[in-house]
Amino acid sequence: MSEIKTLGIPTPEEIKQAQIDFAPRCTSAGRVNDKETQGTVEYILNFARKHSLFVMAYGTGCGAIEIPATMTSRYDAERFGIRGAATPRQADVLLITGYLATKTLKRVIRVYEQMQDPKYVIAFGSCAINGGMYFDSYNTIKALDRYIPVDVYIAGCMPRPESVINGFVKLQELIKNGNAGNGEAYREDLDWYRKNQQKVIKNWDFPDKYNW
Amino acid sequence: MEGILFKILGAFLTAILAFVVGMFYGGLRRKVTARVQNRVGPPVHQNFLDLMKLQSKRTNIAHGFMGHLAPVWIIIAAITVLMFIPILHGDLWFNNLTMKGDLIFLLYMMVFGSLGMALGAGQTGNPNSAMGVSRGLAQLAGFEIPFMLSLIALMLQFKTTSISELMQVQESGSWIIVQNPFAFIAALLASLGMFRYSPFDIVGAPAELASGPRSEFGGKYLGTMMTGGAVFAFIKLVMYVDLFLGGAGNNNLEGIAGTALGLVELLVKTFLLYMIPVFIGLVSPRFRTEQAIQFFWKWPTFFGLLAIGWALYKNGTF
Amino acid sequence: MEIIAIILLILLVGSILSFLINRVNKNFTGVTAFLVALASGVVFFTKVQSGYQFNFQLAGLDLQWGLTDYSYYFAYIIFGLSVLALLYSIKYMEGKARLGYYYASFLMTILGMLGVVVSQDFVSLFIFWEIMTWASFLLVIYNSYYKIKTKGIKYMIFSAIGAYAMLTAIVFIRVHYDTLLISEAIAKGAFNFEQYIYIPIFLLLGFGIKAAVMPFHVWAPSAYSKSPMPFTTIFSGAMSKMGIFGIGLVFTTFYLSNDPENFYWVRTILGWLGGITAVMGTIYALIQTDAKKLLAYSSVAQLGYIVVGLSTGTELGVMAALYLAVIHAVFKGALFMVAGAVEKQVGTTDMTKISGLIRKMPWTFFVALVSIIALAGVPPLGGFVGKWLLYEALITESNNYILVVVVFFSSTAAFMYSYRFLFGLFLGQEEKETEHIKEAPVTMIIPMVILAVIAMIAGSYPGLIFEPAAKAMEAIGFQNVSWQMSSLTNIWGDTTDLFLISMMIFAVFIIAFIFLTLKGLKKTRYVGTKDISTSGELPKEWENLTFQIDFFKPFERAAAPLYSMNMNKIWKNLGKNLEAFFGFFRKLYTGNGQTYALFVVIFLVVLLLFKDVIFS
Repeated sequence: MSEIKTLGIPTPEEIKQAQIDFAPRCTSAGRVNDKETQGTVEYILNFARKHSLFVMAYGTGCGAIEIPATMTSRYDAERFGIRGAATPRQADVLLITGYLATKTLKRVIRVYEQMQDPKYVIAFGSCAINGGMYFDSYNTIKALDRYIPVDVYIAGCMPRPESVINGFVKLQELIKNGNAGNGEAYREDLDWYRKNQQKVIKNWDFPDKYNW
Repeated sequence: MEGILFKILGAFLTAILAFVVGMFYGGLRRKVTARVQNRVGPPVHQNFLDLMKLQSKRTNIAHGFMGHLAPVWIIIAAITVLMFIPILHGDLWFNNLTMKGDLIFLLYMMVFGSLGMALGAGQTGNPNSAMGVSRGLAQLAGFEIPFMLSLIALMLQFKTTSISELMQVQESGSWIIVQNPFAFIAALLASLGMFRYSPFDIVGAPAELASGPRSEFGGKYLGTMMTGGAVFAFIKLVMYVDLFLGGAGNNNLEGIAGTALGLVELLVKTFLLYMIPVFIGLVSPRFRTEQAIQFFWKWPTFFGLLAIGWALYKNGTF
Repeated sequence: MEIIAIILLILLVGSILSFLINRVNKNFTGVTAFLVALASGVVFFTKVQSGYQFNFQLAGLDLQWGLTDYSYYFAYIIFGLSVLALLYSIKYMEGKARLGYYYASFLMTILGMLGVVVSQDFVSLFIFWEIMTWASFLLVIYNSYYKIKTKGIKYMIFSAIGAYAMLTAIVFIRVHYDTLLISEAIAKGAFNFEQYIYIPIFLLLGFGIKAAVMPFHVWAPSAYSKSPMPFTTIFSGAMSKMGIFGIGLVFTTFYLSNDPENFYWVRTILGWLGGITAVMGTIYALIQTDAKKLLAYSSVAQLGYIVVGLSTGTELGVMAALYLAVIHAVFKGALFMVAGAVEKQVGTTDMTKISGLIRKMPWTFFVALVSIIALAGVPPLGGFVGKWLLYEALITESNNYILVVVVFFSSTAAFMYSYRFLFGLFLGQEEKETEHIKEAPVTMIIPMVILAVIAMIAGSYPGLIFEPAAKAMEAIGFQNVSWQMSSLTNIWGDTTDLFLISMMIFAVFIIAFIFLTLKGLKKTRYVGTKDISTSGELPKEWENLTFQIDFFKPFERAAAPLYSMNMNKIWKNLGKNLEAFFGFFRKLYTGNGQTYALFVVIFLVVLLLFKDVIFS
C-alpha cells in the first residue's frame, strides 16, 4: 500500500472521497431573477447586462491567441457589445483561455474575487473543462469549476472565434433568462471552493477575511 | 417664483440634452471606429447599455472617502460648466447662467473635475492610477498653453472675456474661425489633448496602465464617471462651436421651431467638429508623455502666438 | 505714552518674559507667548485706527510712526497669522529644546514686522527691518543650531545685501531730498526713476530680496523648509509680504501719477522677473520629494504672482496682488501647518517615506485639501479670485500678453505639485508603519481649520478682503477703487458671479453625493488599499506599491531646458569668481611694511593729482 502511495496513485477510498469533494457544483443560489420570476425592471437590466459584456481576458494559455481574432475586423465581437476591460473592477466576464497552471489559478481566483456582481465566467478550450491534453500534468488544474463557478464552457482545442462568439451568445441567453452569474453562489459556498483551492495552491496567502 | 421654476426646468433640459447627445456621440465614435476598421461595430446606443449595466451592478467597492467622491467631482465640474456655457443663441430654455461667468472661470472650472478625479484615483493606492494621474497632469500643462493662447487672442481681438459676447460678435459679423483662423488652429490642436484620444491617450492607456486613473473604479462609480465624461465631451464641443463656429440657434424663426432648428444646427456643427479628433485618433499611434508635451509646446503654441499677433493687428494695437 | 509704543513694548517685554519663563517652567512658555501676541493683537485692533500718527525725535532725527490704510492691511496679515501660528506652536514645540530662544525670537519677529508697517520714516523702517531679519535668522537656524555655517548662510548673505542696498538708498534720499519721512520722500518724488534712478532700484532690491524675487530667491526654499514649521507659517505668509509692502510703497509714486508710461521699463522688468520667479518656483516645486521643500518653492512661485500683480500697476492688478497677499498667507499658512502636523505626528515629511495618512489624520487632510484647492486656484475657493483678478488685469488692462501666458503656465504646472503634495502625504497605499499614527492635537487643528474656513469663505465673499484692500489701494494712490461683495468685474464689463458659482457647485455636490452614496448603499463596501487590481498578484504587507519617486519624470524630460537653468549654480559660480577676484586684492597685502608705505604714498599722489576732480 505504502509504495503505491508514493507513486501518487490514490486509493479507492481516496478516490471516493475525492469524488465527493471535487464534485462540480451547479448551484443556483443567489439567482434572484430566473425567467419566470423576474420583474420588468430586472428584465430591462438583464437586457442591458446581456448587451454590454466587458471582458477580462485572462490570457492563461494558448487560447489567448484567439481573442484578437475574435475582437478584430473579421469576427468583430464588439457588435454584441463585447468589449475588453482593463481591470477586474470594470469587468463582467472573466474569460479563462486554456490550460490553467496552479500558479496561475491563484491569480485567477484573485481576479475573480475582485470582480463585481453580477459576474460571469467563460471557460475556454478543453483544458479548462477536463485538463485536455494536460490531463496528467502535475501542475495544471483539470476542472475549472471546482475552483471558481463557471457559466459557459466552450469546447475545442482551440475553439475557433466562431465558437467563442457562440459561447458568448449562449452566455447572453443565460443572462436574459436570469441563469448566469454565480457571484452570490460562490460567496455562499465559499468553504467548499476554498478547500479545493487550498488543496492545489501550496503557498496559500490570501487574507483570511473575505475581502472582495 | 415662476421664473425660478422656469430656470430649473431649463437647467434640467440642458443637462438631459448634454447627457443624451454626449452619450450618442460616444456611441457614434465607436461605430465610426468600427467602420474605419472594416467592422460592423456596436449599435449607436451601446453607451446607454453600458451605462445601464454599470449602474445595475449589484456590488461596488470604494477605497475610501476620496475614492467615493471621485465621480462627484466630475459631475460637479460637468454640470457647473454646462450651466455657464450658452447652448443656443438667446434661447429661453438653454439660457441658464450664461452671463454670470467668463472664460477664465470656465477654463479653471474645466480642470476641477480632473483634479477631483485624480484625488479619488490617488486614494485607491493603485500605482497605475497614480502613474496615469501624473501623466494626465503633465499633459494638461502641455495643452493648456496653446488653448490659453488662443483664448487670449480672442479676448484681445474682441475686447471681451465673456463667451456670450463672443457669440454676439459672430452674430453680426463672420465666424471667428474666419476672423482669427490661427486661434482656431491652436485651439483645435489643444482639443486633441483635451479629448485624450490617440495620439494623446497615454493617460488611460488600457494595456499599459490598466486604464490609468479609473483602474480601480467599477459599477456605479465608473458609470457616473462615464456620464460626466459624456457631458464633458458635449461641453467641449459646444464651447468650440460657440467660440469659433458662430454658435447655434442664430435664426429668425420664433418659438419651438427656432429652437429645433438651432438644435439641429448645433448637432451638425458639433458632430463635424467631433469627427476631427476622432479621425485623427483613428490613424495615430500613441505619443509618450514627454513627446505629447513637447508637441503642444511647439506647433500649437506657435499658432497661438501667431493668433495673438493677428488679434493685435486686427484690433489696431499695431 | 503712545499706544503703538505700548504695543511694541508689550511684544518686547513678552519676548523677554517668555525667555525667562522658560527658565522656570517649560510648559508655560508657549502659552505666555501666545497670550502676549493675542493681547497685543487685541489692543492693536481695538485701540489703533488707521490714520493714527505720532511724531517724536530721537538723536536729532524726526521720526514718525503711524498707520495708513495700506499698512493696516498688512497688520491684519501679521497679527492674524502670528496669533494662529503661536497657538499652533504650543503643541508643536512641546518637548523641544531651546523653547525660550524660540519664543523670544518669534515675538521679536512679530515686533519687527509690526514695526516695519507702522514706521513712516526710513530710520525706524530700517531698524525694524533689521530686527525682523535678525530675529528670523535666529529661527531659521533653530533646527541646525550647530551647523549655522551651512544652513543659514544663504539667508544671512542675501538679507545683508538687501539691508545694505536699503541703507544706501536711505542715505541717498537723505542727501538728495533732505528728508527721512516716507510720505515726504514720496511727495518730493524720491522714488521717481527720472532723477536718481538708483534710489528706487536700491529700495526695490532691498524689498525684492525679502519677497524672494528672481534672481534673489535662492535663500528662500532652504530657509522656509529648514525653520520650524509654525515659524515658516509667518515667514512665508507674513514676512515675505513685508517685501511686497515695500515694493508697493516704492510704486506709490507711479500709482499716484496714474500714467501708464511711467516706470514702464522697471515695471516690465519686475513683472517679468515675477513671472519667471513663478515659473521657476513652480517647476522646482514639482520635483521635490520633501513636502516642506515643495511648499517652500511654491511660496516663491506665489510671491512671483504678487510681484506681477503689483508691477502691472492697474487697479485690478494691484487688487490682485493685495488679495493674493492675504489669501496666500491664509492657504500657505495652513499648508505649512499641515506639513508641521505631519512632521510632528510621523516624524518626517519625506513623501517617498509616508503615504496614506488620510484615514489617520482626517482633519489635517481636510485642511490640506481646502488649502490646496485654494492654492491651485480652482473655483469656488479663495485662490480662484486672486488668479482671476491677475489674469484679467494682465489681459484687459495692460499690454503683457506674453507674461500672462508665462503666469498661466506656472499656475497650470502648479496643479502638478498641488496634487503631489496631497498624494504624497495623504493618499496612496496605507502602510503598516503608519498604522499607529493619530490625528494632531486639537490646538494644532484649530488654527489650521480657521485658516481653511477663511479660504472657503473668501471664495464666495471675496468682498470681505476687497474692502480693506480697496482702502489700502486708496492709501497708495488709487482713486475710487470699485469692488463687489461676491462678484468680479473687469473693465470690459464681464462679470463672474462667485456666490452663484459656489451655490451651484454646492447644490450639485449635495445631489451627486447623495445619489452616489444611497445607490446600492448596502452592497457598497470599503476595501483596503492593498486590495487593488495588480494583475491578480497579491501585494504583501511589506510591499509599498505607492508611486512616489520621480513622480513627474515625463514632465521633467519634456521641460529639460527649463531645469538646466539653475540660479543656485549661477550664484555659486559668482561667489567663486568673486573669491578669486578678491584673492587677487589680498595679494596686495604682502605683510611687508614697505609695501604699505608705498601704497600710502601712491594714494596721496593720486589724491593730489586729481584733487580738482574729486573735490570739485
